[in-house]
Amino acid sequence: MDNILEIKDLVVRYETEDGLVKAVNSVNLALKQGASVGLVGETGAGKTTLAKSVMRLIQWPPGRIISGEILFEGKDLVSLTQEQMYNIRGKEISMIFQDPMTALNPVMTVGKQIAEVIGVHEAHLDEEGTKKKMEEMLQMVGIDPQRAEEYPHQFSGGMKQRVVIAIALACNPKLLIADEPTTALDVTIQAQVLELIRNLRDKLGTSLLLITHDLGVVAQNCEYVAIMYAGEIVEYGELRDVFHRGAHPYTKGLFDSIPKLTEKVDRLRPIEGMMPDPANLPEGCKFHPRCQYATPECGQVQPPEVDLGGGHIVRCMRYSGGKPIQSGE
Amino acid sequence: MTSKELVQSKELVQNSEIMRRSLWMDAWRRFKKNKMAVCSLVFLMILVLIGLSTIVIDIATDNAIYDSLIIKQDLTDRFGEPSGAHILGLDEFGRDILLRILWGTRYSLFMSAAAIVAAAMVGTIIGAISGYYSGIVDNVIMRLMDVVLALPYMLLAIAIVAALGPGLVNVLISIAIGYVPEFARIIRASVLSVREREFIEAAKALGASDRVIIFNQILPNVLAPLIVQITMAMAGAILSIAGLSFLGLGIQPPLPEWGAMLTNARAYIRDAWHITAFPGLMILLTILALNIVGDGLRDALDPKLKN
Amino acid sequence: MQNEKLLEVRHLKKYFSTPRGQLHAVDDINFVIEKGKTLGVVGESGCGKSTLGRAVLRLQDPTSGEVIFQGEDILKYKAAKMKQLKKDMQLIFQDPFSSLNPRMTVSQAIAFPLIIQGVISQKDKAALDKRVNELMDLVGLAQRFVNSYPHELDGGRRQRIGIARALSLQPKFIVCDEPVSALDVSIQAQILNLMQDLQKEMGLTYMFITHDLSVVKHLSNDIMVMYLGMMVEYCSSDALFAKPLHPYTRALLSAIPVADPDCHMERVILRGEISSPIDPKPGCRFAGRCIYATEACVGEEIPLTEYEPGHFVACARINEIHS
Repeated sequence: MDNILEIKDLVVRYETEDGLVKAVNSVNLALKQGASVGLVGETGAGKTTLAKSVMRLIQWPPGRIISGEILFEGKDLVSLTQEQMYNIRGKEISMIFQDPMTALNPVMTVGKQIAEVIGVHEAHLDEEGTKKKMEEMLQMVGIDPQRAEEYPHQFSGGMKQRVVIAIALACNPKLLIADEPTTALDVTIQAQVLELIRNLRDKLGTSLLLITHDLGVVAQNCEYVAIMYAGEIVEYGELRDVFHRGAHPYTKGLFDSIPKLTEKVDRLRPIEGMMPDPANLPEGCKFHPRCQYATPECGQVQPPEVDLGGGHIVRCMRYSGGKPIQSGE
Repeated sequence: MTSKELVQSKELVQNSEIMRRSLWMDAWRRFKKNKMAVCSLVFLMILVLIGLSTIVIDIATDNAIYDSLIIKQDLTDRFGEPSGAHILGLDEFGRDILLRILWGTRYSLFMSAAAIVAAAMVGTIIGAISGYYSGIVDNVIMRLMDVVLALPYMLLAIAIVAALGPGLVNVLISIAIGYVPEFARIIRASVLSVREREFIEAAKALGASDRVIIFNQILPNVLAPLIVQITMAMAGAILSIAGLSFLGLGIQPPLPEWGAMLTNARAYIRDAWHITAFPGLMILLTILALNIVGDGLRDALDPKLKN
Repeated sequence: MQNEKLLEVRHLKKYFSTPRGQLHAVDDINFVIEKGKTLGVVGESGCGKSTLGRAVLRLQDPTSGEVIFQGEDILKYKAAKMKQLKKDMQLIFQDPFSSLNPRMTVSQAIAFPLIIQGVISQKDKAALDKRVNELMDLVGLAQRFVNSYPHELDGGRRQRIGIARALSLQPKFIVCDEPVSALDVSIQAQILNLMQDLQKEMGLTYMFITHDLSVVKHLSNDIMVMYLGMMVEYCSSDALFAKPLHPYTRALLSAIPVADPDCHMERVILRGEISSPIDPKPGCRFAGRCIYATEACVGEEIPLTEYEPGHFVACARINEIHS
């Protein structure tokens, strides 16, 4: 049991006017102590819903966790009360959101916002101690503590995201969930922020669940990858297993779609078609309408999870016999 | 190409249930879920129907009913309590209160609607020009509007009516003028936000003229707040008409306007409760209904609530 | 006809007056695009690339300079002639959500330019429908969406509407302002392929504005890298990726995370952030973040020089860095 987080058979639904949105469908995911998992998927794949489920931030209505377990250090978060969650959120598990522009309170100084989190979770600290800790945090994320008295609008996008990271790590959480932390930033700033997260993880030993749509970000920052499509994890494994020996047709399609800097290509090879509407998912394998290998069986049977060896798991009928079928590549 | 077609046909099957619905139908769907608003809307519709039918009856009977039942006094039976024959009783001149209320719908509802629609049209054009061009044009227009807004509304209406003299049309004009700045401000604010959206720039890049951009691209996008405002303002206008009539500056007796009915009945409030109660209740219900519908519309049309 | 210049921009400047001083959004930009070719304009947010695109189309009138389109300086055009010109020069937007009017259906959005430019009369419903259908086919939009509203469609389809709208007037030149950066990778590839096909089919000329070097790599013939309103490097796409010269270009390239766990490019993590474009001091605007910066970099303007044939760079220490 060295898994800090274990998600078992999680199902999350939203009941909307347009019908039942199947946002997360029987997801299994394990995160080892101190490791980092990249959760990759496109818009609407259910990545953020999954992350919010772990934080128990799914709002009812319209959404709720239908079934499944989220084991954090062995205790099931799904069965906890909201009161009990207060002690977990921010202290044990922290989350960084995509948009640093809206994640901060515009009428409160950044120092106060960091101090507030410390004050909530570390009640034993007095005012002086809180202030000291707050300044340490600012220092750690590379902001001059003298800027603690400034307001968020005086910070640039990258600096704001540093403040957000400082808030998230203020109570030294065991698990950090970062939901597209650099999507709103420029590439050179993204590089800075990712390096900061990397260094802080090395120093603090925080486990990381990094949600992104960018395979490059995962390749440079994570040890494990989970590929998510239409609310399911279609492939999971160690970074190199998935990147070099990607098994699921969707994973391959994703890699083919991205323009590469290192090779000369005249034409990209996109995945044809669109992501299915999560309120109206196809039967069987959710990817089969777009899959070039699809057989009639794929439209009827939900593919089981198959271990290709070494914890490299794929959900595809082509591997359901346990042995991969040659694709001729 | 065949694989592409295959995908497209698969997609077609998947999305075969795609509903064709416009933003308005979406809004209506949301509005329907608000039971209070739907009830209020039904109430208003009934009022409108009543108003229309009384007008039709008057035309068909050449005002025979109007003259004999609504206006003509019957001093033999004053202050009749509500009874089987006269459900809401008789007023101080022996006229049936129910019939007078029904016949009064045209003044309260239709006049306020006419005044507000006029105010909305003028206000929209002023607001759109002000918001779209900004700069000096905007400044001059908005400061003018501020001057009008700086006067207490009722005082302004009283001043206008006092200058023009009481009467149907003058009341209408005074109310319309009073409401123009409010519309201008709301439309200006909406135009300012729509103006910054990229599709406006797209229209400019395609060579569209300012007129086309304002009327074709911007105004359809500010209809939602406009409609909500019209509903809310109508409630205010009904109150104003009633208020002016109550002060004796609006519609004059013996016309069966609700506010005028209240004025006349005021003297007898201790002896005959029903002559004040029912016209007052009608004013209350109508305004309440308009406000609830307005709130419902705002919720239904606000895209931020859309999930 | 091979090397026919379609667009030439000379010393283009666009300054904005702000309460704190002159904002140099676009500062002395020069480039040439040949017919049927693509110029990639790359830079981070705030570098003035979008303003440049709009200044070229005169959606924002430039402060000074020349924009020579088909041999004529369009900055001298009057309003009526400008309206005519819009048929030839079009714009595709970044955000497929806000660039479409939510109150217009797909067919209305595509027909709109035809009507306002008087190409087809509003009354001639049959001709309009026919042209709209052709355009929808061209960009790969299924006919069943003809009466849909934008909010019912996903980002990829909306962007196709935007492209159809831009193509409806059969332009020669299109400014593409980050047309795929709001889209998912798999959809992004579809749209990029579509734009490439259309270019071939219709002989279009693109100015492709993006923050993502990998997107323009296989699409562009030439690439211009901008930093704080100025050109720092300008050369053919192949040359830029084979041998990036300017320290900023190199930092930009190395900052892109490569989707290969075993590819560890030499990383140049830049210090600091983009500085203010308001009343910039003479000298290299990148100097504050540059690892090579010395006193030589500040004090006087650094001209764009031809370091190798066809490869222009604005760096005072280029010879020392690449020795």
